[in-house]
Amino acid sequence: MSTESFDRFLTAVDRDGALAETRARAETTTRRGLLGWTLAGAGTLVLARTADARAAGLSASDVDILNYALVLEYLQSSFYTEAERSGALTGKTATAARVVGATERAHVKAFLDLLKSQAVKRPTFDFQGTTEQQRPFLKTAVALEDLAVAAYKGQAPKLKSNAVLAAAVGIHSVEARHAAWMRALFGITPAVNAFDKPASRSSVNGIVTSTHFIVAKPKMRGRGKPSFTG
Amino acid sequence: MALAAAALAGLLSAGLGASHRDKQMTASTGLGGLRASPTPALRIGRPQRLSSGRYVSRWTVVRRPTLAHARPSVRSAAVAELATSAPEGTPNLLTVLRARPGADRRLWVEVRLPTLPNGSVGWVPRQSLGPYQAVETHLVVDRTRLRASLYRAGRMVFSAPVGVGTDAWPTPAGEFTVRSQLTRYASPFYGPIAFGTTARSAVLTDWPDGGFVGIHGTNAPELLPGHVSHGCIRLRNGDLLRLARVMPIGTPVTIR
Repeated sequence: MSTESFDRFLTAVDRDGALAETRARAETTTRRGLLGWTLAGAGTLVLARTADARAAGLSASDVDILNYALVLEYLQSSFYTEAERSGALTGKTATAARVVGATERAHVKAFLDLLKSQAVKRPTFDFQGTTEQQRPFLKTAVALEDLAVAAYKGQAPKLKSNAVLAAAVGIHSVEARHAAWMRALFGITPAVNAFDKPASRSSVNGIVTSTHFIVAKPKMRGRGKPSFTG
Repeated sequence: MALAAAALAGLLSAGLGASHRDKQMTASTGLGGLRASPTPALRIGRPQRLSSGRYVSRWTVVRRPTLAHARPSVRSAAVAELATSAPEGTPNLLTVLRARPGADRRLWVEVRLPTLPNGSVGWVPRQSLGPYQAVETHLVVDRTRLRASLYRAGRMVFSAPVGVGTDAWPTPAGEFTVRSQLTRYASPFYGPIAFGTTARSAVLTDWPDGGFVGIHGTNAPELLPGHVSHGCIRLRNGDLLRLARVMPIGTPVTIR
C-alpha cells in the first residue's frame, strides 16, 4: 500500500480523526526502546526489554522484531476471537472472521512456540464495540490487516536470519490475502496500487496507540478484609 | 517437471564450464546456481478454531459510572446505578449477556446486575464498559447436596463439600458471578482467601456494604458440610486453596 492510499484508508476508517493526527505525530517520534509501546494513565503498558535474547539461536534484534510482530498478531487474533464470540456477525463476514481468526491464532501459537520464555505476554484489549457490529468490525479489520501488511514489510529487511525472513515473507502474503478479503467485504478495492510501501515501526506504534485498544488489565484481586455475610 | 529442470541445469553447467562445487550445488537444488530456500523459523500449524462457545461466559468492568436501564435507551427506566468499584475495592465486574444498537444508534450491552432482586439485568452503553474477558469455567453450588463443583468446558475439575446459609439466612438461588479475590486480610473466620460474588442476601439487606455473598474458608471446618452460614458459601481451607488454583475471576456461579 502506498503512503497516499494508506492516508486515504485511514481517513475512511478513522472514527474521530485521531488516527491520522497520531500518525503524523508518530512520524517524528524517535524510537522508544524495544517495542516502543507506552500508554498514558491507567492504560500504561510498557513492554520490557527481552534481556539475553537467544531464543532458538536467534539474534537479539531478530527476537525484538519477532516480539513486535507477535504483539500485532495478538491484536488481530484477539480482535477476531472476540468478534466471533460476540455472535454479531452474519453471512460472508462471519465466515471470513472465523477463517481469518483461526489463522491468526495459528500465527500466535507459532510465535510462542519459537520464542518460548522470550515471548512478550498478551496485552489486554478493549475493542470498544468494534467487534459487536458488522460495519465497524469490517472497517477495523481492514485497518488492522493493512497495518499488519505494512508493518511486516517495514521490518523484513532488518532481519538477520534467513530462516526468520522466510517465515515473515510467508506470513506477510497471508496477511495481504486477509487484507484483500476484508477490503472486498467492506466494499473497497482490494488492490489499489502496483507497489506497497512499508510502514515504519514508529508509525505503526502511533497508529496502534491511537486506537486505545491496548489497555491495562483490570486488577480483580484485593487485600481488604471481606465484608461478606459470612 | 523436476527431471526437465535437472536436465536444463545440467546443460547450463556443462555449457558454462561449471566447477565441481557448482555441479554439487546444481545437483542439490535441481536448478543451476540457486540456493535452496531456508526452512522458515516459524512453523505455522493448522488453523486454530474456537471451541463451540457453549461454555464461554464473558465479563467486563464498569469503566465510568453509569446508569443501567430497563431497555437500550436513556428514555427507559433506570434500574441501577453502577459505580466503577465494588464494595470490596476491586473493579465492578459485570457479566455480559448480549449487545445491540439502541434507538440513539449507540451500542448497548445487556449485563447481569449486582443488585436486588437477585437475577436483575439491565442495559448500559458500551462506552461505559471496559475490555471483555472470557472464561470457560462454571461453578455450581448445590444447596441440597451441600456440594460445590467447578466445570471447565463442561468437564468437572473440582468438587468439595460446602457450608451454606441457614433457614434464617439462606444462600440465594440463581445465576451470579465470581467478581473478586481477596487475600492477606488476616481473618481466620474467612480463611486464607475470599471470593466476592454478585449474589446478595435477600434478608440481610442492611448488612454493611450491601450483604454480598462470598465464597471463603473457615475456622470451623467441623461444621461442614451443613446449613451453617449467614448466606456465604464456606469451604474447608484446603479445598478453597485447590479451588483458587482453577477458578478464574469472572466464573459464572449457579446456586440451586
